[in-house]
Amino acid sequence: MTRITRPAVALVSISLAALAFTACSEESNAGDNNNGSSASGACDPSDVKLVGQVRNESNPYEASWLDGGDEFAESVGLTQERLTYDGDSTRQQEQISQLLAGDTECLVMNILPNGDSDTPPIVEGAEEAGAFLVTQWNKPADMNVTDYDQWLSHITYNGVESGKQIGDALAEAIGGSGGIVALQGILDTGAAKDRFAGLEESLAANPDVKLLDDQTANFSRAEALDVTKTLLTKHGDELKGIWAANDDMALGALEALQQAGRDDVAVVGIDAVPDALTAIQDGTMTATVSSDGPWQGGIGLAIGYCVATGELSVDDIADEDRAWYAEQFLIQEDNVADFLTPATDEADFDCDNVFSRSQGAIS
Amino acid sequence: MTSPAEDVDVAPARPQPRRGVSFRDAGPPIALVVIFGVFAALSSDFRTISNVQNIMDTAAVLAVVACGITFVLMMGSIDLSAPGIMGASAIAVALMVANNRNDNDLGLIGVLVAVLLAAALGCLSGLALVLLKVPSFMTTLGVSAVGLGVATLMFAGVQPNISDAMLEGWAVERFLGFAYLTWIAAGCVLLGYLVQRYSRLGRYAFAIGGAEEVLSLSGVKVAPYKVAVFTLAGAFYGLAGVMVTSQLGAGLVQAGKGYDFAAITAAVVGGTLLTGGRGGVLHSVVGVLLVTVLVNGLVQVGVSPYWQGGVQGLIVVAAVAAAVLPQRRRNQVTK
Repeated sequence: MTRITRPAVALVSISLAALAFTACSEESNAGDNNNGSSASGACDPSDVKLVGQVRNESNPYEASWLDGGDEFAESVGLTQERLTYDGDSTRQQEQISQLLAGDTECLVMNILPNGDSDTPPIVEGAEEAGAFLVTQWNKPADMNVTDYDQWLSHITYNGVESGKQIGDALAEAIGGSGGIVALQGILDTGAAKDRFAGLEESLAANPDVKLLDDQTANFSRAEALDVTKTLLTKHGDELKGIWAANDDMALGALEALQQAGRDDVAVVGIDAVPDALTAIQDGTMTATVSSDGPWQGGIGLAIGYCVATGELSVDDIADEDRAWYAEQFLIQEDNVADFLTPATDEADFDCDNVFSRSQGAIS
Repeated sequence: MTSPAEDVDVAPARPQPRRGVSFRDAGPPIALVVIFGVFAALSSDFRTISNVQNIMDTAAVLAVVACGITFVLMMGSIDLSAPGIMGASAIAVALMVANNRNDNDLGLIGVLVAVLLAAALGCLSGLALVLLKVPSFMTTLGVSAVGLGVATLMFAGVQPNISDAMLEGWAVERFLGFAYLTWIAAGCVLLGYLVQRYSRLGRYAFAIGGAEEVLSLSGVKVAPYKVAVFTLAGAFYGLAGVMVTSQLGAGLVQAGKGYDFAAITAAVVGGTLLTGGRGGVLHSVVGVLLVTVLVNGLVQVGVSPYWQGGVQGLIVVAAVAAAVLPQRRRNQVTK
């Protein structure tokens, strides 16, 4: 008898404890909702709670994003809560609802939604709870930020432009003519489609550069290694350049080139991960594009902080600053040194400056 | 349904239910030869020596993972722990050989420790299976998460890049035209085959998959053998993680991503049954080559990347269907 009940007792007590815990937080939540649901807050700066949420910290770009958030938080004397959800949409939603069940009056969230379809529930939740929300990268095209009061801004990057930038850099590196291959990302993502469209624009502008092949390596370093090996045997010396839709694939391609003993092929990528920067510095890689992860981690919190403390009012944010393309930077050998140590500039996060990197509204 | 007599060897040294090459085992190798022939006819780039080398080099890691998973499948269990165990061993080895994160330079000892760590994680799956009676599907999924967790902790935000000449050399140096990694994989296949064919562990793994009740009724304690099989599988995944690190020149948490289902697919394509008791290391190797030839061939022939995934899936399903047609009834259940 006792052998059966002991685990049962443990289970029951755990669930009781959990129940009691959630009940408590729900109670405090109910109290808060009554007095705080105005779009422009008058929070005391020390009451603001900053949250940054990304997929995982094992990805250098997303880790640097959270570090940037920490730097901003430190500059205003606060700490950032770092959340990761392992690329799992369900877990992301759970974390968000837990946050929104707590004290939301002065809550500022800088969120990387897992995919387009994950954004609406987050936005609706924040709107209802009165939390200040900034999202980045993913949102459904037909969802307008201006329809909401608590969803302050959505920031993303123009993939067509970055695809074209590295396409042009690659064309220049191979002397304006020759055969290249493209390693595409996950084919059904917007980022992969836009970046490839950018390459096609670049090819149109460089008629002597010939696209020999385009394959997908699903944004993965290991897959890019295998695909590049195969493409090297297929195209041999005709191959002068490799265009990769992200740096991980570019680094996989570099390994394949090294294993094949080829050092005459130019490689470009996007994202500016640390290894790619080192490769550019060494001269083995030609170019990459940076969205400036630390800045992304800080800027979302900064916009939210400015509104929460009343320094900025939602009504004063121009419509074109509610959903916008941020500036991205082409990195080549001549300017790589500036990007090797990721850092944020406090001036970027000044309430008058938070939209200074805008390249225009998302059309 | 009575199974047809399959007397290939008239004087068996000891009772060995499936010896030699029966008609039913011939399906996957024939499919491999046919697919290879079709691609060779379609593409002049495919039938070059350098491309054959490339296929073998590409197949190396998957072959080692498949060696490990085959033993588990033979027992009638399933193993989804490869991604986590490979990730943990990849990061561990990258941090123990010469690298950019610390001053370690353990060389071969580092490789050994990483493989032992992986074996310990595999052992954990086995223990959870026999002691807690959790289905292997769940325990191995859990251990995969544990492995990824361990890997993420060791990763600590900065990717370890290796500078160890020996480990980097494995992917670059060649012997008789093939990379060292390919020879390591061949060694693993040979070892796996010997264990499967001649050791008690291998033969009991078969027997557990065939009829576990009969075995325990005959007084054999199956639990230790189950744990040992998962430990062995873990060690193979660990070595595979080391090999990925050698290829990529860096320790990645995602080193083993997708290898669990790729290896299961390869094993099943090669004729190993998910219900256990049938197949083996050599079967799985045929499956690995089939899958690798397919991926390589579709690129060489120039099939659009938008079509490749679908075409690949169709050919795999067709190959499995053709190979297991005679044993349809046994294929329907998974333990």
